[in-house]
Amino acid sequence: MIKKVEIFDPALCCPTGVCGTDVNPELTKIARLVSVLNSMGYDVKRYNLAQEPMPFSTNSEVVKLMENDGVESLPAVAADGKLTFSGRYPTVSEFASWFDIEDDKLREKLKTPKKTLNISFNK
Amino acid sequence: MKQLMIGDFVDTNYLFFTGKGGVGKTSAACATAVSLADQGKKVLIVSTDPASNLQDVFGTTLANKPAPVPGVKNLYAANLDPEEAAASYRNKIIDPYRNTLPKAALDSMEEQLSGACTVEIAAFDEFSTLLTDEDTTSEFDHILFDTAPTGHTLRLLQLPNAWSDFLETNDNGVSCLGPLAGLADKKALYQKTVEALANPERTKLVLVARPDDSTLIEAGKAAEELEEIGIRNQMLVVNGVFERSSDDQTAIQLEAMQQEALQSIPAYFGDKPTYHLPLVPYNLTGFQALRDLFDPEALEMIEEIPETEPIKLPSISEMIDDLSAKKQGVFMTMGKGGVGKTTVAAAVAAGLTDRGHRVLLTTTDPAAHVDLVMDSDSGDNLLTVSRIDPKKEVEKYKAQVLENVGEDLTEEELAYIKEDLESPCTEEIAVFRAFAETVDQAKDAFVVIDTAPTGHTLLLLDAAQSYHREVERTQGDLPESVKQLLPRLRNPEETFISLVTLPEATPVYEAGRLQEDLRRAQIEPAWWIINQSYHETGTTDPILSGRAHAERKWIREVQESYSRKTCIIPWQADKVKGLERLKTLIK
Repeated sequence: MIKKVEIFDPALCCPTGVCGTDVNPELTKIARLVSVLNSMGYDVKRYNLAQEPMPFSTNSEVVKLMENDGVESLPAVAADGKLTFSGRYPTVSEFASWFDIEDDKLREKLKTPKKTLNISFNK
Repeated sequence: MKQLMIGDFVDTNYLFFTGKGGVGKTSAACATAVSLADQGKKVLIVSTDPASNLQDVFGTTLANKPAPVPGVKNLYAANLDPEEAAASYRNKIIDPYRNTLPKAALDSMEEQLSGACTVEIAAFDEFSTLLTDEDTTSEFDHILFDTAPTGHTLRLLQLPNAWSDFLETNDNGVSCLGPLAGLADKKALYQKTVEALANPERTKLVLVARPDDSTLIEAGKAAEELEEIGIRNQMLVVNGVFERSSDDQTAIQLEAMQQEALQSIPAYFGDKPTYHLPLVPYNLTGFQALRDLFDPEALEMIEEIPETEPIKLPSISEMIDDLSAKKQGVFMTMGKGGVGKTTVAAAVAAGLTDRGHRVLLTTTDPAAHVDLVMDSDSGDNLLTVSRIDPKKEVEKYKAQVLENVGEDLTEEELAYIKEDLESPCTEEIAVFRAFAETVDQAKDAFVVIDTAPTGHTLLLLDAAQSYHREVERTQGDLPESVKQLLPRLRNPEETFISLVTLPEATPVYEAGRLQEDLRRAQIEPAWWIINQSYHETGTTDPILSGRAHAERKWIREVQESYSRKTCIIPWQADKVKGLERLKTLIK
């Protein structure tokens, strides 16, 4: 199981992208998916290059990716610090398998947004 | 209407001068500051205008901290350049990564942090810090702010309320106010700033306008909007009121036009105290000139104007010939409000139809009288006029966005989007899309538009486009017309952007900044158009020929420091008649 997923976004004006030049539905979907996963207690982070460059600079694989393929190669996705793929956002199924959640269960959660979910894990 | 006297100011600590660029805010503020200091008051004048010419007026270099102004006892000045503040904010974020992140990444960060939002927030931050710093404020009897042009100022002043709402209601951490992230702790500071502004005992708002309809209307709007925010202690200063002492044709027209405009003041300003300052025959730079502004006798002593060779520049007709040779293309006028973009665009459209071209003229000015050019003798079949209403376009864009993404999204996702659609960038994007559609419709004709996108918008579009090329999976909804427009705008064979300015300090600086911004997007304006020139009228009136002489400095400045090609349009009595006369100039 993966403990931590990081998404390295291109430089965005805002996480939904609507105040940019067009609306990308992918961005709003991932924004919501991440917020649901966070509320379930999973460690998923999104970094916006324009506002949080630090995590980009400390991940050498991400730096190399941008050096070789430019910022057009973003978003990049790292699982437990290791660059997994780039050029797209993770799907619901990918998250489910990383965190060992049942695919359907996660989809169910996405359908019925509760106000707050406080799930804590006792280790 | 009384002439403004320095005694009219003594009762308030904070004086804010607001009005469109070029109405003489800085001059009025500087003259007031100097006169108050002469009376023994300790005075600080602060400029927050990115196009500020405070340094020119005082003839000294200013820092962003209050410092004594050499030559005037008791007078201190500070120059808070919001663009510089924004740049230092940008650098604070980017600098630590200069060695660790690739250049492409740094460039893309830089562009995202170059938007209007970043500049505004940086400006407001600077301004609040100064206003709420009691060590500084308690030291001075009066603090004068020569604020940024109206629209900008309004957003600036309205922001704290928007922020308060935003910070209270937003629990998702979603923010179009990107640079604002982490500023929640400044809420108290901004709150205090708004309170100080709304306190009539301490703060007075000085609305500055010219005796012409457009700046009076603009000031009227500002008065209303600021009143809504709670800033009720307001006064109006009409700057540049002309009293003719000759029978010169231009002088007669100018005086008549001004008197007509002044009649409308009660309609916009009710019973607000109203004052005027005279039109002076010289540039308001240097302390003596500033002191003379409040001295009714100074005007009587007009200095002899030195004999000079007139500056010869091409007329607008020559620019139209240049354009006409291209057979088709996009012509855009760019410039700040009040410089005559719409009138010039209409004249160019009429000029092109006169030369036998098919033309689509598009205006974004809801009050434009462009229909008048439809009467143009040969233009009837060749000219089509269309309008883009920015407000309607924003609504349309919002509705379209919500419809496009609405279906598969949950309520919470929609809330995200709605929050972000409140961003100030939305209007520029919406207008840009609308005129991309317009340009797309007219492929084998000239398209003439009275507005142009900023370099920042173009660069963001460019980024969005390359993003789509590379990442097909995450295709957004960039319309085909927008995709095709960008390369056309970059192509100098197809697109002509002209910067419109007036032969005066602020409009020239403002146009210069627009040019810089376009150059960042690799677009070079083809022509500069100097509009409303007294120099070009050949007037012999003593005051107006003084103005004409004073214009030389700015005409030269445009030629030498800014433009590749420059044309000049003589002063016209008003927009409607002006257009009639322009039609004779375009042949």
